[in-house]
Amino acid sequence: MSTPQTIGQRDTLVPVSALNEFVYCPRRFYYQHYHDEMGTPYELVDGRSKHEKQSQRGGWITERYFRAAELSLHGKIDLIESDGDLLTPVERKRAESGQYFPSDEIQLAGYCMLLESAIEEPVNVGYIYLYKTDERYAIQITESHRETVRKIIDKIQSLSVDSIPPLTDNPKKCEACSAREYCMPAETARLEPEKARGTGWEGQI
Amino acid sequence: MKAPEGMFDESVIYVTKQGAQVQVDGGRIVIWDVDGDEGELASFPIEKLDTINVFGGVNFSTPFVARANEHGIVLNYFTQHGKYRGSFVPEKNTIAEVRRAQYDLSRERELDIARQMIAGKIRNARTLLSRKGVRGTDVLKDLGVRTESDATKDDLRGTEGEAAERYFQLLDETLADGWMFEKRTKRPPEDHINSLLSLTYVFMKNEVLSALRQYNLDPFLGVLHADRHGRPSLALDLQEEFRPIFCDAFVIRLVNRGVVNHDDFRKDNRLSDGAFKTYLEKFEDYMNEELTHPHFEYTVTRRKAVRQQAILLRKAITDELDEYHPLTFAR
Ligand code: SF4
Repeated sequence: MSTPQTIGQRDTLVPVSALNEFVYCPRRFYYQHYHDEMGTPYELVDGRSKHEKQSQRGGWITERYFRAAELSLHGKIDLIESDGDLLTPVERKRAESGQYFPSDEIQLAGYCMLLESAIEEPVNVGYIYLYKTDERYAIQITESHRETVRKIIDKIQSLSVDSIPPLTDNPKKCEACSAREYCMPAETARLEPEKARGTGWEGQI
Repeated sequence: MKAPEGMFDESVIYVTKQGAQVQVDGGRIVIWDVDGDEGELASFPIEKLDTINVFGGVNFSTPFVARANEHGIVLNYFTQHGKYRGSFVPEKNTIAEVRRAQYDLSRERELDIARQMIAGKIRNARTLLSRKGVRGTDVLKDLGVRTESDATKDDLRGTEGEAAERYFQLLDETLADGWMFEKRTKRPPEDHINSLLSLTYVFMKNEVLSALRQYNLDPFLGVLHADRHGRPSLALDLQEEFRPIFCDAFVIRLVNRGVVNHDDFRKDNRLSDGAFKTYLEKFEDYMNEELTHPHFEYTVTRRKAVRQQAILLRKAITDELDEYHPLTFAR
């Protein structure tokens, strides 16, 4: 192909939900981005949140869209708990397993960073709420979370259509992966074993 | 190896009832007998379907067409007797990056893919014949090997032509008494067997079209068949490997088991209305029949196997795989 296009060239900002997707499996992220659905139409979300501009005192703020050019990040925060001056993003997960994952923490960190850039005050705590167990976890957002977020944004922005990320290093993830039928990890390992070299699928067949 | 969870099963439906209307009701597609008084004929969850084939006087409600567009459902129109008329293709079926890769394919890469497809077709022709106990397939074996050294598409087409000729000479031996295959005739099919073959190729072509469209490949841009206006060249290319092992095998089964008799044909060699309905049912059963995948060793329906080939083709086109891997049966 002539000019490899990077995702960074196409959308300058990375949606926060992409962080989670990318951490789950960069390959699945690649498929979603280049081969299948292009993700949520953010303009639409943006338009909707304008109608809800009046902020509330105490309680909940729902469905608010933010963008932060300096972070190259944008996204919709579904739920923000507001307690006096304190705003805390809440990330709700179905989590059939009854637990959350490091990728959920990263996504939450992304929301915290978005929010603090909007209100220009530090946001160092976020909540993960699990429907399944009706439990809420307070997550302290550390510098290492932030560093990870920035690194992933970099990786996402330099992803190019010409280089497909390798199969996951953890084949267990494939079992629950929505892209599995299309990705064909086991089939790839069988048809072209060299494509599975160095991935979790090497030697699985 | 475990098969990935399927969403291909029952993803294609056929509507033959004249005067029926396809409607939506919440999350379901409902086939309604608007002309008669049979009421609801069938209903399907909308997210499961990707293709609806309609024959003759069948209508779509406007809300249904809007929904089909949203959900990426392709609608194929046929005459009552199965002649293809055209399609409604939803908007979302164009993903720039995949299309770009397809348009940018180099000649060599096209030839590589085409070679695999034709080699696969010849392999499957031999397999079908040998399953039926037909001998004398050594020429086919040699021609299969020759595809590897064919340096141009014309060479490859030549090899394919020779193989087809040899294969059709032998096909006669697979048919039960009372059936004859003299030579392949297309427009119009000159005998009952040719008529069944032509019909089956149309249906398989539509299976392949649906599969290509589902994965956003442009069915009109081929790797071997020349691109002519209105001809789905890539579908014809991908169809090659399925012709012997799926299409011809199906026709042989129909006549050898007496599902279709000479009485079932009209003067113009087309199936009578009743026989055509039976044919459709059998074809649908056949595509949903399971077999052990020859390369992956899990059980798949034929329909799913065809769709997987569209994925593998796309992976070869987008350079995710180094080669196109045709669906070949060695035994
Ligand atoms: S099937 Fe496995 S390797 Fe493929 S995208 Fe999903 S998680 Fe990644």
